[in-house]
Amino acid sequence: MTYTDDQKALIMLSTVEWYSVRKKRFESVDKPSELYNDYTVADNMIAKMEKAGIKVITIVDEDYPNSLKEIFDPPYTLYYQGDKNLLYSKDLLAIVGSRRVSTYGRNVMQNFAPEFVKAGLKIISGLARGVDSIGHRISLENNSPTVAVVANGLDICYPSENSDMQMQIAKTGLVVSEYPMGSKPLQYHFPERNRIISALSQAVFIPEAGEKSGSLITADYAIEQGKELFVVPGNIFSPMSAGCNKKIKELQAVITLSPDDVISALGKTSKKCVKEVVQLDFTAQAIVDLLKDEALHFDEILQKSELGVGELSSVLSQLEILGIIRKMQGNYFEIIPQL
Amino acid sequence: MLAKTKSYALNGVEGYEVAIEVDLNAGLPAYDTVGLADTAIKESKERVRSAIKNSLLTYPIRKITINLAPADTKKEGSHFDLAIALGILIANEEIESNTYKDYIILGELSLDGSINSIRGVLPLIISAIQNGHKKFILPAKNAKEASYISGIEVYAFDKLAEVVDFLTGKSEGKPLETSEFVAISKANKYNVDFSEVKGQLVAKRALEIAVAGGHNVLMIGPPGAGKTMMAKCVPTIMPDMTFEEAIEVTKIHSVAGILDNSVGIVVSRPFRTPHHTATVPALMGGGTNARPGEISLAHNGVLFLDEMPEYQRRTLETLRQPLEDGVAVVSRSKRTLEYPARFMLVASMNPCPCGNLGSKTQECKCTPSEIHRYISKLSGPLLDRIDLQIEVDGITYEDFRSSVPNESSATVKERVEKARTIQRARYAGTKTKTNDEMTNAQVKKYCALDNVGEALLKNAFTKLNMTARASTRVLKVARTIADLDGSIDVLSKHVAEAIQYRSLDRKYWD
Repeated sequence: MTYTDDQKALIMLSTVEWYSVRKKRFESVDKPSELYNDYTVADNMIAKMEKAGIKVITIVDEDYPNSLKEIFDPPYTLYYQGDKNLLYSKDLLAIVGSRRVSTYGRNVMQNFAPEFVKAGLKIISGLARGVDSIGHRISLENNSPTVAVVANGLDICYPSENSDMQMQIAKTGLVVSEYPMGSKPLQYHFPERNRIISALSQAVFIPEAGEKSGSLITADYAIEQGKELFVVPGNIFSPMSAGCNKKIKELQAVITLSPDDVISALGKTSKKCVKEVVQLDFTAQAIVDLLKDEALHFDEILQKSELGVGELSSVLSQLEILGIIRKMQGNYFEIIPQL
Repeated sequence: MLAKTKSYALNGVEGYEVAIEVDLNAGLPAYDTVGLADTAIKESKERVRSAIKNSLLTYPIRKITINLAPADTKKEGSHFDLAIALGILIANEEIESNTYKDYIILGELSLDGSINSIRGVLPLIISAIQNGHKKFILPAKNAKEASYISGIEVYAFDKLAEVVDFLTGKSEGKPLETSEFVAISKANKYNVDFSEVKGQLVAKRALEIAVAGGHNVLMIGPPGAGKTMMAKCVPTIMPDMTFEEAIEVTKIHSVAGILDNSVGIVVSRPFRTPHHTATVPALMGGGTNARPGEISLAHNGVLFLDEMPEYQRRTLETLRQPLEDGVAVVSRSKRTLEYPARFMLVASMNPCPCGNLGSKTQECKCTPSEIHRYISKLSGPLLDRIDLQIEVDGITYEDFRSSVPNESSATVKERVEKARTIQRARYAGTKTKTNDEMTNAQVKKYCALDNVGEALLKNAFTKLNMTARASTRVLKVARTIADLDGSIDVLSKHVAEAIQYRSLDRKYWD
């Protein structure tokens, strides 16, 4: 593939660190090619990119997504791996939230995300730990293409434990970054990257966010860019939901109580997945009843159920596999709430 | 005049014959030892001279040359003292009979002429028997150890002078009586019992399964949860050692010099807890004076690694091969030693560096990356050898502790032995002894599942995010659970239970 001088200039410009500096330079000339005389840096970069299977769309290209052109500070380059058509998709729903996700947040994700995906929405997120990862994973599990916008060069994976996921998304979905190869995930990259997530999406959904969280930055971008913002209310005492509750109090977000609230607002119809009605046997039902009010420790269930240790372990595993209960750290078991 | 006595030297846990040749020559008084002797042997010069003099015998004022044959093998240890002293006395015609030629002579001398205990008596004797020797002269302090071997004539002495009297026929020696192994093994007592472990029912059940199937276990739990206590109880539910097993263990402990001379044999299963600063030679064995390492000392017993991620990665990785082969191979430039090392690995770790992850009472202050780093210290191949990974928690259940009856080790042991009997019958004629050692072909054959079980296992992988390599492990554990249950087939409930014991496969740490 050959690149024009404009494109090469923009590739070189993307290696300049600060967005404000890039912006000043970009606006100082009529055409990007006037910025540089020597394109060796760009040529080297292109060679490296071709080896790694990374492609680029620049702001001067025809296929640069309109959704990004409309925002106040569009990225000049979009490095990507995967299916670029997803950039123009009208079904993208951004899901962002805390990196340290509570059980509540997990439950919300497990109830909402599969419904979104089945209704035809595609999840776009930031590949971070916690909510982001869960969103991507649920997409992958349901064979739905998903978009990850990362805050570093595409040759780097952050956090490193998601490297497998990043590769998988690159294969079946799309991984995008504003930053050239070799860029580290610097702190100020993350808020910058959030504007791209909200710009590419139709709406932003936040299952759980703390008061000072990056998700709220995405939420603010969404409001600024005129996108719909959906948040799930949380316990008023929980610091993990403080961010969501704040947005609700400030009347900036739509209170979301069920997946349908988002799905119908985005003009989709939810395909109610027919929940398999599982007929539990007597012992299994007895244990589900025990767990109805609160999570219990294995020993407590054992004592209340009067089963043998082996027998109880076996029943618990089966209930776990049916997706009715969940094992938590420290040998606690709880019912997975269903809407 | 020339004299030749016989002794034995150790190489690993095997012995080989060493001929000790003593020659007395005319010349200035001197004492030379040749035949690649180490410092301990060379220093025997002083012990031998004083011991002979203090036994009121005559030490020759001549040029003494001592050769240890085969001359090209390095020898170490102080157990040649007695054979050297007797050689000098014979060469000096202090002892004139020829009876000494039948005996393998072992013993270290003290300056006052008494005979000190030595290490490695049992392996030395066993190797000597294999080479056709039947008569031994040993230190009285090692007599117990030798007394468990029948069909040999052992004479044990306390003093050099007594040996001389015996060899010259001045006194009649009495061969050692054989000790009964059964009696002593019945009397063996561990000072812990399973009934002392309160609560922790899952963990106890998991340990029972582990012992029944010979599986390795990893316990994950906060500090103070009782992981060490439970690990200590593991030997108490293991089947009693057979005589052959006891001899194997005793050989190793004897070589290491940690054998209790008053009992003379190891009757209770070893429980070894090397500290996490342990080096590779400390675990594997070796060193300049080669000794068995901790994993060999744990042979036929339990090796407990407390706080497993705290061990050096390199140290842990060396465990992989012994876990597979049951042998610790120590290679040096000059020689290669092999020590038996078939042990059950019981390891423990905290769920995170601070130890409070998942605790209801204390907050964990670790970042996800810290936790990730902590857990990833255990390499996949090593974890692959650990079939059961269980969570143990430190919450006190004062209220109902009293109402849960605690089983004693003896009760659990009975069940374990039943399961082991089933396994012995199943694997008769193959190399496999326990479910843990099953080959892939055997897993296919003996862990065949019905449709329900198959579906359950498949669902477990998708729903619980289990890794693929866990499947064989789950099946092996399920086989053991079925054996404990007395079931011929592995049923879906057995598989379901086995899944409960694969904590690390669940990726809760994302």
